[in-house]
Amino acid sequence: MKKLFLMLVLGPIAIASAQDAAPAASQTRGNSTPAAATDVQELRTAVQSLTETVKALQQQVKDQQTIIEKAHLTGEEAPLPSPEIATATKAGSPPSAPVEPTPFPTADNSVVSSTQSSSPGVDANGAALPGAFPTTDASVVTSAPETMSNTGTGASLTQPITIGGGKNYMNISFDGMFALAYSSARDLNRVEVGDHDPQQRGFNARNIELAFDGAVDPYFEGFANIVFKLDNDNQTEVEVEEVFLQTTNLPFNLQLKGGQFFAAFGRINPTHPHTWDFADDPLVHGLFLGPDGLRGVGGQISWTLPTPWYSQLLLGVQNGRGSTAYSFRNPGDSGVFEGRLTTDREMRGLEDFVWIPRWENSVDLSPTQVILAGVSGAFGSNDTGTNTRTQIYGGDFLYKWKSAHAEGGFPFVKWQTEVMYRRFEAGLGMDDSFPVAETFHDWGMYSQVLWGFKKGWVAGVRGDYVDMQDSKFTDDPDRQSRSRVSADLTWYPTEFSKIRLQYNHDFIDDSFFLAGRDVDSVFLQFEFILGAHGAHKF
Amino acid sequence: MKKFLLILSVIFSCALSSQAKLNVVATLPDFGSLAREVGGDKVEVMVLAKPTEDPHFVDARPSFVVQLRTADVLIEGGAELEIGWLPPLLQNARNPKIEAGKPGRVIAAEGLRLMNVPANATRAAGDVHALGNPHFMTDPIIAKAVAQHIAQAFSAIDPANAAVYEANNKKFEATINAKLQEWGAAMLPFKGQNVVAYHDSWVYFAHRFGLNIDVFLEPKPGIPPSPSHLVEVIAQVKARKIKAIIIEPFHDRKIAEKVASATGAKVVDFAQFPGGMAGTDSYVKLMDTLVSRLAAALK
Repeated sequence: MKKLFLMLVLGPIAIASAQDAAPAASQTRGNSTPAAATDVQELRTAVQSLTETVKALQQQVKDQQTIIEKAHLTGEEAPLPSPEIATATKAGSPPSAPVEPTPFPTADNSVVSSTQSSSPGVDANGAALPGAFPTTDASVVTSAPETMSNTGTGASLTQPITIGGGKNYMNISFDGMFALAYSSARDLNRVEVGDHDPQQRGFNARNIELAFDGAVDPYFEGFANIVFKLDNDNQTEVEVEEVFLQTTNLPFNLQLKGGQFFAAFGRINPTHPHTWDFADDPLVHGLFLGPDGLRGVGGQISWTLPTPWYSQLLLGVQNGRGSTAYSFRNPGDSGVFEGRLTTDREMRGLEDFVWIPRWENSVDLSPTQVILAGVSGAFGSNDTGTNTRTQIYGGDFLYKWKSAHAEGGFPFVKWQTEVMYRRFEAGLGMDDSFPVAETFHDWGMYSQVLWGFKKGWVAGVRGDYVDMQDSKFTDDPDRQSRSRVSADLTWYPTEFSKIRLQYNHDFIDDSFFLAGRDVDSVFLQFEFILGAHGAHKF
Repeated sequence: MKKFLLILSVIFSCALSSQAKLNVVATLPDFGSLAREVGGDKVEVMVLAKPTEDPHFVDARPSFVVQLRTADVLIEGGAELEIGWLPPLLQNARNPKIEAGKPGRVIAAEGLRLMNVPANATRAAGDVHALGNPHFMTDPIIAKAVAQHIAQAFSAIDPANAAVYEANNKKFEATINAKLQEWGAAMLPFKGQNVVAYHDSWVYFAHRFGLNIDVFLEPKPGIPPSPSHLVEVIAQVKARKIKAIIIEPFHDRKIAEKVASATGAKVVDFAQFPGGMAGTDSYVKLMDTLVSRLAAALK
């Protein structure tokens, strides 16, 4: 039976070679009957000899493979117990073959680069370390260390920048954010307070952003965010939103930052709109720190305190001039702010800068719960008089729970609240042209809860309130007290895209000059990100 | 008075000895386990991510900054594994000892030849890693190389204890070499068998033990399973008579159970990280559990 099986398997080969090997045998067939006993006998012997040949060849191949592998493994002088060689030829041998106990391989030069001595590592001073783990080995290593660290030692500007694969001196990313808006108000641009919020019924493209970052050299990191936006007449505006460098290795846990940057005031202000949890800016942020947020050219020093919990002190200073220093030396639209013709003067001294101190603290309540709380201030002059001052104080609080079994960062619950108080001295305007000087005490807050209930899905609610001190002397619509409730649902197909549906109901209170009204708005926001994977700050 | 002095000296010596220990921060629990094997009682190891959470999406919580601020050594996977959360932590930590290029910064992927390096990095293929698949620690041979890398970093920073680190590393290496025989023998009967996974994080484990873990519940890396894709998976499981579906603690087990009930395959709880399953507080115990669970399911 076994023989028959063998004959069937080897039949075609055997017949072909039997005819070559034994022409005499085929001649003797002549006219005799096809299945003569002698023929069968000859065939059988031929098959047997062939089987033996095949077996011998198999053995040869096996031996050769073993030798080759032995050569491979001994070539890398791995510190292994002596009989470390194993072969993968088991699969090729027939199931009936005797199974010898071969040791499982404990080394594999296809995944691990060769050990020691071949290429030594370097220490902090660039000197070779004896016996250090090799971090470069052109023959086996797919990515050399310097390509991952991004520090441009030996960097050449002429080399191409490729994104992905880590071979880049800077990360480039591109973000496009759009919104389709409906509102019961025709003046959506007055109802919405942020410059990147939807500004008109229909389609809006208010935040198209190019971002660059990377290590400048071993001492600095550089960041840049250039924003393009289309106004309601589809004209393109360009904003140098942030461009700054910061130190990487100052002693005593200090860090310096310089350039154009968002002031570290509260939670919303230092972040870019595409990281926000709603399609628009909270009222208090837009009305106190400005439609573009508080940002400007300046410097900042920060110090991480040597406490067992996270505690950081920051002090920023910025020019505080222009519309991105909204409550400060802001000339206003057409030279008018809070009803006054603004002075728009040159800086006189340190008091004309905006000074922005902040202290933030964070503790882990449990392995899944974190709170972060901070207090901020912004102090400077404003342009509504010759010697008028503004002070803004803020407090912020964040609570986050994230499941210990989180997939893609879900599920989570995040509660964020910010409160601000603004004291604004509105002066007599340019050349004392305004009849009265008055001091406004305004305050406002927002609180929002986000629930990431399923991977990629987040539901949120937000409440906004701003109390503006009423004035008999200015009809500025921004001085109306107001509140808002919002709800949204966001779907992140991946971390590089999102689609968000948001509903807002605004209550705008009447003021001395203006009537109150209610506004309903719906936004459909969509966003995509190309390029470098932006890391998420907490 | 004598007692007081004694207490004082105890406190003082405790303070001294705790100061003498190397402060090691590992981004993920597998690196933490290796650091403990290599460092023994000469190091204090802190692990940032939890063993049960998705290593790509860890919150960059401020308390991590506190740990990184005082670290002598940082062990990270590299190859974009922690790219979503480690960079802002390091910016805030301002610790020159663990800067890139310093001996205190151990990037485990360096010196390894990673698998699945895409020829063309396009996100149309899902969440691909341009530098290759970074879930390499489930290959024990790679773990040995990483342990050696860690030992060399420890020795460079703390030369006084270099002999200890080298000895511990050798011990770990010997343990893995011996264990590999065990694990290899346990997996040998299942060579070439197919296994379903939720996410493509088992390519190194499969490669080492001759399995084919190449059917995924996710249609593409990072993309949640769709009903139409699951129909396809069920058909494949039936056609190829696949016996096991491995699932990690942070994935939706219900989806795997659905496929299992439609096909008769078994759902096997798997974890990449020590501590991700009960009784797996060290790397070797984790591998023991993985091998025995899978072998039991494939039988």
